[in-house]
Amino acid sequence: MFDLNIEGAELFALPFGDIVPYFSVYSATLAAFVLIFILIAAFDRPERQLNIIFGGDAFYEKEIKEGDTRFSRFMAIACGFATLGAVLTGDIFNFTLFAVLVGITNIAIVASAGNHHVLNAAFQYGIVAMIATVPLFGAAAIILATTGTLSIWTLAGMGAVPLLAKAMLILGVMGEGIAPLYIGKAEIIRAQGAPFVLMIHFSSLLLFLRVTEIVLVI
Amino acid sequence: MIDTFHIGMFAASLCIIIAFFSFMKETDDLHRLLLTDLASVMALFLIALVGTDLAEALILPGLVVTISKLMALTEIYLVKEGIQRNQPARTLDIEVLQSAPAILASILVLYGIFLSGFSGGAVAGLGVIFYIICKGHQERFELIETVSGYAWVAWIAAFFIILIFPSQWFLAVMIAGGAILIKVTAKLSLIGTMRGESDV
Repeated sequence: MFDLNIEGAELFALPFGDIVPYFSVYSATLAAFVLIFILIAAFDRPERQLNIIFGGDAFYEKEIKEGDTRFSRFMAIACGFATLGAVLTGDIFNFTLFAVLVGITNIAIVASAGNHHVLNAAFQYGIVAMIATVPLFGAAAIILATTGTLSIWTLAGMGAVPLLAKAMLILGVMGEGIAPLYIGKAEIIRAQGAPFVLMIHFSSLLLFLRVTEIVLVI
Repeated sequence: MIDTFHIGMFAASLCIIIAFFSFMKETDDLHRLLLTDLASVMALFLIALVGTDLAEALILPGLVVTISKLMALTEIYLVKEGIQRNQPARTLDIEVLQSAPAILASILVLYGIFLSGFSGGAVAGLGVIFYIICKGHQERFELIETVSGYAWVAWIAAFFIILIFPSQWFLAVMIAGGAILIKVTAKLSLIGTMRGESDV
């Protein structure tokens, strides 16, 4: 599989029988980025929101204590580890499971704000993410039915996966991970604890890069 | 050539189209929340169509992630609508739970005895949990503890029989199976007592 353009040179492969977790230059770069962002989510401090009062140069600063952001910090770290799993795994079904996990943690990060509008946005996003499990698991099921395996290592370069399954996989990942880009993004950014909201965008970017790799390889 | 898988795929596609159409028509938030469960069942339907051992192994993680997502969404819905503080006076205040438990619990316990052993104990224990959650309980802990203790003794005795009189293995297996049935039932029924009333 390392003769394909997108992967680059082989760095590491761990043959667990059928399923082979591997590092190419591409996936190793993604994994390194995820680790950096997990550390950022674990150790950074919550932002201080400034509210500007119109018509004057006065502003006031919202007080955000460490305890208020504990839940969103935990969920940001969990989201980072789910993204790490999605980047590292060599199995298409595990990838879909990690994508769903990223969706759950994203919903939790959004919902920890507690604002009514933000909760509404989180609820709508959650419904989209839930519907997206149909194309996501459907893609894995069709790949399993047509090729008899779910291992990316085995499927690499064979071209045996039908176009429908690839399209459904991309559609499902869009629903799970990339949904916050079009649902209530403005509402999310108004929420407190902005560094953890960063993790939503980061995980959706990484899921998109990873699903691109998978679709080009299988 | 159209084989069984393709017929199943057509049926599943029809169900998915109907489910998505219902999402388009529905505007009430609670109803859409309920419909998301329909969507997750459709996803599991697609996996189950493959019909191999591997597909069977994929059903359980798929079910777990969709249910956890549904629970997260439900929590968000409760907080969003501001009804998470409205606890009913008694948990599980549903009319069916007042009338059904005696029949359902007895069926489960009888089936558990029929199965015997660990899984039988789990089924029978489920019946007892169901009964105690629905009907409430008044300090039956001592009885459960006593029965559980005797079951443990019977289990150990069965081991001694196997070690000392190997020819009587069938008797020992029967004693051990019955004892572990009672033991698991007692353990699981303690779970039922954790829910029902507030002063526990």
